[in-house]
Order: sequence, then C-alpha cells, then structure tokens
Amino acid sequence: MDFGFADQIGFRALTLLTFLPALGALIMLLFMRGRPSAYKATALVTSLAAFALSAYMLTAFHTDTAAFQFQENFVWIQSFGINYHVGVDGISMLLIMLTTFLSVIAIIGSWNYVKDRELAFFISLLVLETGMIGVFTAMDLFLFYVFWEIQLIPMYFIIGIWGGPRRIYAAIKFFLYTFTGSVLMLVAILAVVFWFGRESGTMTFDILTLQNAGFPSNIQFWGFLAFFVAFAIKVPMFPVHTWLPDAHVEAPTAGSVILAGVLLKMGVYGMIRFCIGFFPEMTVKAVPWVMVLSVIAIVYGAAVSLVQVDMKKLVAYSSVSHMGFITAGLFTFNLQGIEGSVLQMVNHGILTGALFQMVGFFYERTHTREIKDYGGMARPLPVAAAFFSLFVLGSLGLPGLNGFVGEFLILIGIFQYMKVFAVIASLGIILGAAYLLWMYQRTMFGELTNKKWLDLKDLSLREIVTLVPLAAMAVVIGVYPQPFLQMLHAPAADIIARLEPFMAQKESLVHMASTFLGGF
Amino acid sequence: MTPKDLIPIIPELILVLAACLVLVVEPFLSKDKTAVVAIALTAFLASAVVGLGLSGREQVAFSQMIVLNDYAVFFKVLFGVAGALTVLMSPRYLETAGRHMGEYYALLLFAVVGMDIMAASRDLIAFYVGLELMAVSSYLLAGFLRYQARSNEAAMKYFITGTFASAITLYGVSLVYGFTGTTNYEQAGAALAAGGSTTGVALATALVLVGMGFKVSVAPFHMWTPDVYTGAPTPVAAFFSVGPKAAGFSAILMVFLTVFAVSSPTWSVLFIVLAVFTMFVGNAFALAQKNVKRMLAYSSIAHVGYLLAGLGALGRSDGDYLAGQSILLYLAAYTFMNLGAFGILAHLKTQRPASFTYSLDDFAGLARRSPWAAILMALFMFSLTGIPGTAGFIGKFYLFNSVVQADLAWLAVVAVLFSAVSAYYYLRVIMYMFFREPEAEFETGESISGPLAASLALSAAGVLLIGLLPSWVWSAAQNSFGNFFG
Repeated sequence: MDFGFADQIGFRALTLLTFLPALGALIMLLFMRGRPSAYKATALVTSLAAFALSAYMLTAFHTDTAAFQFQENFVWIQSFGINYHVGVDGISMLLIMLTTFLSVIAIIGSWNYVKDRELAFFISLLVLETGMIGVFTAMDLFLFYVFWEIQLIPMYFIIGIWGGPRRIYAAIKFFLYTFTGSVLMLVAILAVVFWFGRESGTMTFDILTLQNAGFPSNIQFWGFLAFFVAFAIKVPMFPVHTWLPDAHVEAPTAGSVILAGVLLKMGVYGMIRFCIGFFPEMTVKAVPWVMVLSVIAIVYGAAVSLVQVDMKKLVAYSSVSHMGFITAGLFTFNLQGIEGSVLQMVNHGILTGALFQMVGFFYERTHTREIKDYGGMARPLPVAAAFFSLFVLGSLGLPGLNGFVGEFLILIGIFQYMKVFAVIASLGIILGAAYLLWMYQRTMFGELTNKKWLDLKDLSLREIVTLVPLAAMAVVIGVYPQPFLQMLHAPAADIIARLEPFMAQKESLVHMASTFLGGF
Repeated sequence: MTPKDLIPIIPELILVLAACLVLVVEPFLSKDKTAVVAIALTAFLASAVVGLGLSGREQVAFSQMIVLNDYAVFFKVLFGVAGALTVLMSPRYLETAGRHMGEYYALLLFAVVGMDIMAASRDLIAFYVGLELMAVSSYLLAGFLRYQARSNEAAMKYFITGTFASAITLYGVSLVYGFTGTTNYEQAGAALAAGGSTTGVALATALVLVGMGFKVSVAPFHMWTPDVYTGAPTPVAAFFSVGPKAAGFSAILMVFLTVFAVSSPTWSVLFIVLAVFTMFVGNAFALAQKNVKRMLAYSSIAHVGYLLAGLGALGRSDGDYLAGQSILLYLAAYTFMNLGAFGILAHLKTQRPASFTYSLDDFAGLARRSPWAAILMALFMFSLTGIPGTAGFIGKFYLFNSVVQADLAWLAVVAVLFSAVSAYYYLRVIMYMFFREPEAEFETGESISGPLAASLALSAAGVLLIGLLPSWVWSAAQNSFGNFFG
C-alpha cells in the first residue's frame, strides 16, 4: 500500500543503518583483538557513521504523511508469510535518531570506563545498537520479535559482566522479566496471525496488513493483554517496574544511559505500534486502567525518588515517574497527549541519559554514589556542577528546556481527558522538582564536608564532549520543538483516526471511571 | 523378498556393514583407533548422503514391513548426522577415560540401524525389532565405562527400566494383534477403526503410550533419565538425548497416526496432560540442579514436554500434519543444540579429567579460560532457551504455532511460561561462565581441537543455519508428511 516511499534515498538505507553497528562489531572482533586504540576508534567511527546516516535519512524524510518510508521488503520464510520488511514513520524515525545519538554518547562516555574485557564491551554496545534500531524499523511481526529478543542478550552481558556488586542478580532479573513478557507476546503473535490466516486464507506477519485486520473482541482482549503486559514490563509501568532500579544501579554508566535512553522507549513504541495498531477497540476500553496505573507510577516513582540515598537509584526511580507521564500522555489519545508523549520519550532519553552519564562521572572520581558522601561539590567541580544543574532543571520541567515542552503537552492532553488525573500528575511534577532540587542541593551546594574531594579534577575535555550535545539538544528542543513535533503530526493524527470509531464507547467508560473516582 | 527390496535399506546396510567391518578390523589395531573412527564416521555420513539421494522415492518393501518415503528419509539423514557428530566427539573422551575401543563404534552403528528401522517401519513387528536393536545397543553404550560404578549403575538402570518399557509396549502391540489379526500399521488401523473406539483399543493405546513414554522419558516415566545421562559417558549421553529420543518420536508419530488413528481424541488428551506434567517436572527439577550434565538431562525431559504438546495438537487437527511437521523440525533443531551442549561438556572433561565434575562451579570464569568453549556453550544455551536467531527459537516457534492452530492457545501459554522458567537455568550456566571469576588458580588447558572441534563447529553451524534460514528444514519436514501414507 505504501510502497511509494520505497526508494526515496537511492539505496537500502534502513538495512544499512540497522546492520552497520553489527558490521563494525564484527570487524573489531576479527581484526582488532588486543589493539585498544584501533577497536575504540572503530567503535566510535561506526556509531558516528550510523548517526550521520540517520541524519542524512532525515533530509529525505517526508513529514507530511503517516505512511511508512524507506521501506524494504524481501521474502524470508515463504511458507509462513514472514518477510524481512522494514520501514519508518515519524515516530520510529525520531526514536532511531535518539538511538544513534545516544549510542555515540555512550561510546565516548565509556572510553576509559571499562578496564576488563574492553573489546567485548564495545562489541556489546554496537550489537545492542543494531538490536534497538531493528526494533524500531521492523514492519514484520516475526522480525520485530527477533530484534526485540536479540537486544536482551548484549544488555544482559553489559549488566552481568561490567556491572556493580549485585550485577548478577540484576542481570538475571532484567532478562527474566522481559523474557517472560515476550514469550507471552509470542503466543499472542501466533494467535493473531493464525486468526487472520484463517479468515483471509493467507498467512502473514506483515504489520501493515494485520493493522487492518479488524480482530474480533476475544482476540482483541487476549491479544491486547499479552502485548500490553510485555510492553508494560519494558516501560516499565507500575507494578512491574521492580527490575528497573536493580538493573540501573548495577549497570555500568553506558548501560544505564542506553537502558534509560532507548530500551524503555521500546515498550511505549510497542504499545503505539501493536496495542493501538492491532487492537484499537480494546485499547480504548483499557484507557482508564492504563491511566490509573500511569498516575500511580508518576506519584509513586516520585515519592520513592524522594527518599533515595543513592544518586543513581534516585535517577532510576525518577524514570519510573517520567515514564508514567509518557504512558499517560499516550493513552489520552488526543493530539497534544500523543505528540507530547513521543517528544517526551526523546526528552527523557536525553535528560536521563545525561543524568546517568553525570552520576557516572562523579562515581569515577569518588567511587561512591551515596548522596551523603557528597556536598559542596560545586567548588572542586564547577563545570560539572553547571552541566548537572542544566540537566536537573531540564528534568524537573523548567520552561526553556526540553522537559517542559513534553510535560506541558502531556498535561494539556491529560487535562482534556480528565481533570482529576491532570491534577494528580501535576503533583508528580511538584515532587519531581522537590527530589531533584533537593538532591542537587545536597550534593553540589553547601559545605564541602569531605575534604578529600577538594583536589578532584573537573570534567575532562572528553567528558565535556559527551555532555555538550546532550545539553545542546535539551536547549534546542526546549526553545524550538517545532521541527520535532512536525514529524509527529501525521502519525499522531493517524493514531487518533484509527481509534476514532471506538471513542464513543470511551466516553461512557470515562464517565464510569469518573463516577468511580468521585467525579471532578 | 526381491533384490529391489534392498533399495530402501541401503543406508542401513551401509551402517551394518561398517559395524561388522569395525569389529573385524578392531583386533588388528594397536592403540591407535583412527581407522575405526574413520570407518564409523564415513558410514554415518554415507548413510546420510545416500538417504538424501533416496528422497522423493516411494517404495514398500519386505512384505510391507519397511517403507521408503520422505518421512523415513528425514530420519535417516537426521540420525546419520547425529551419529557422525557423536563419533566426532568420542575419541578424545574415550582415550581420556582409558576405554577407547572399537566396539563402541560398532554399538553406535547398530543403535542407529535400529533407529532407522523404527522410523521406516510399517509393521509393529519391524518397529519392535528396531526398538530392541536400538535399546540393547544403548544399554551397552551406557555401561561402556565399566570400571566406573556410575556407568554401571546407568547401564543397569537403563536396562531394567528399558526392558520393562519394551515389555509394556509389546503388550500393547499384542493387544492390537489380538483385536485385528494383523501387525501392519494401515491394516491394523483400518480394522480398529471399523470396530470403533472401544475400551480395548484405549487400553492398547495407553500401553503403547506408556511403553514409548518410558523410552522418550515422559514424566512420570522419566526417573531413569537423569541417572543414566549422568552415569553414561558424555558422548553417549549426548547421543541418548537426541538419537533414541528422536527415534522414539518418529515411531510414536507413525503408530499413533496410523494404528491408533481411531482413538486420536483419547490419546490427544493423554498427550496434553502428560505434556503439562512433563514440562513441569523437567523444568522444576532442572532448576534445582547444580550439576550441568544432570541439568541437561532434566532439560531434555522439559523439551520432551514441549514435543508432547505438539503431539496433543496433532491428535486434534484432523488430516492436518502441521504439528507433526513441527515436531520433526523441533527434533532437528534439538539434535544440533543438545549435541553441541554435551560436546562442550565432553571437551571440558577431556581438558581436566581429574578436577572437572560437571558442576556449575567448574564453569566459573570459563570465558577467561577458554573463550571459544564459553561462547559456543552460550550459543547452545541461548538456543535451548529459545532466543531468536537460533534453531531453538525456530523449533519452538513452529511447534507452538501448531499448538495455537489446534485451538490450544492455553497450552502454548503454559509451554512458553515454562520456557521462561527454563531461561533461568540455562542462563545460569552463562552467568557462571561469563560473570563469575574462577574460584582457584586455573590451568589454561588445551583449546578445542581435532574431531571434537569439527563436531562443535558443525553443531553451531546447524544451530545458526536453522535459526536464520529455517525454510530448507521446514520444507523437508513438510515433504515428510506430503507422502506420509504413500
């Protein structure tokens, strides 16, 4: 249907983009063992090339359509209608940009971080990048599932080998949580494909075809449930978020940056593509439930952040809260909510990635992450403190920085949906300001309690190089979000159009839910 | 018998001749058994290649006792490959154990002949002869390290439970003969169908099911499996976990689809119940194991559980062999990944014969000591878990797909949840290899080399090839059922 956009750049850009990092990893493995400068340079060049390629694709990208672009489609397993089919719309293009961007940052950031089995570390990062890009480009359910699972493996190793003291527990917990959700999704995939095959006579895993299948209500219910749980674990939504703090605290800095920056977004992306795409009727019915869970996550995540004594854990729990905003915004299903939600995914990737990066830099200097061990750090580390303040302020939603734009749009969206949720969500913003500023105050300001921090070195040039692009993006999106939102108009309108026919039912359910909550 | 009757059994003839040749040549060899190994290896490969050459042909031979069709060919090739991979991983192991003897290869060849016959038989007598040939050879192989108490125990346990199981099977077979007056699959099936599904037929079905359930280690008839796998020489355990098991399934598929076609609603339910129980037992006990060899034994039970779910689906999908085809694909995938995993165990045992006890602690820090062994083991563990890109995922994908298509989505849910449980114990091996440091000072040991390296490389290649491009195996599995009743 959308094959008009198959060849807009003259070569198979998406396949190249997806497998470029893996190719770099292979070259490093085969030819560069034992030569750190060579393989590090290759890793950097590969990730930069992937970023450049994704940026180049942007120049040929049409923002005025929700159709999938840069499509490529080859038969893979004929008897089952499985194809290697890839393509992007505005949402996935933006998330791919985020992926390639953060991968470069993560690689520069961990230049000297890893001492042990360094080659394997950079190979894992690049393979992970391939997996992530693959998830965002796949337009075939089978292909999607393959990438979805494949990216677990490098992350499992990154946490398990290069993580902190409880890394083994965290790595296994991370893997088992996601894997359990995914295998249930696998059965749901098989069920929807089977149903469609029986109805239409052709077996296909093609996402575009299945999106227009019109599944009956029992398939809608079970299918939605299975897909939703798999993605909710990834986001992670309350109450399946418990793997996240462990994984974040134990993961090495680059792992946390990628985990918070991109992997969590795969969950929301999956909800957009599959829950909404395949099961619009059930999605609309589920809105009140998702809203309640999201709002719980917002407040609960913020409240738990408030009492954390470990900086990294604080940032990790703040992710639970922020991801709550993102799911809440998405499930309002109005233009502001959806666009704000997707934009906030990018913002959260940048800001939280930056915060984890900075916590990592502090940790490399002090070997502690306990807030009480810090205090007055602005004196020995003025540059770091300046960057840190920017990201903290962005994260709590200061106007002029990117976090504000996303949160604002989301709040407008939620307000249109139901006022009571908007009020509770605002509470989360207030709490967010509280725990972030309080942390900043306790770590950066005040007396320099620990005198041995006095001769710490401020950020090196390499470290500043990783932070400047993040800071620049935070300001650019904060001041001029238009080009980013431009990419989301068409896909968001498409989502609303897809759900419109079922919205009538929503009104009554909203009514029911609001009665349940005492009205407002 | 006409000379033309010999065509369908050319692969088996090759194997029998090779076995005899091994026994004749053996006494003339001194310590160096290369010649024997070469004969066995050549014979296995030749039987597989000839088997491939026979594909597409259909023939009934030996008074309708043996058939040649793509179903039989699929298993001839699979067993030939499994035999070859087992031969490749054996010499170093047996030398280290001080029992490198020609008889070993002869027994292996005879066992595979029995397996081939099981898959190709169209008659309950021929099936039983094949079963016993395989079983007797297997008992001897299990006890091949006869100076080790563990190996003796394994042989004894395998022999007693195996004989018992054979007897039960035979009792079921005799009931069928009593009801129908024939042992031919189709004729017996037609006669039973004419008589309708009676209690007698149900009893016969149940007896054959229990007997064969013992052979392929269906819970609750699995008790012998962990002890036998732990005690038997590692290459033999590798062979047991894929060869006789696949042969058992080849015969189960045939017998239940033809002879017991009339009672398919009954056995379908039985298989579903046993599937859930077997998945539970295999996975739950595998979780508790600290010994990797024993864990793999329980894991093989768990995989039997998944296969039984396929059998349950097969009984419910009338005239549609999707589940049967998926079982064949699964068996092929399982052969490569499990032989690979056991191959790594064999390698580690030969590397450190005294200190290596197969316990998880022995795997600590393996990634530093021998990175290649660790990487390959990780690949096989990921495949057993069912991670995409590997044969294990493709096997599960097709198998669970067939289960869903038989309107048994709940069973597929149960199966994938057990797969998620299995991830824990498979990943634990990876965790020890990559995340832990070796407990004591370790000697680096020899790296993987020689025939064992070839065996592991082929297994890994099989795992990845089926994992990434499954179409060729799938079409072979489909063809097997294309002329199933030819």
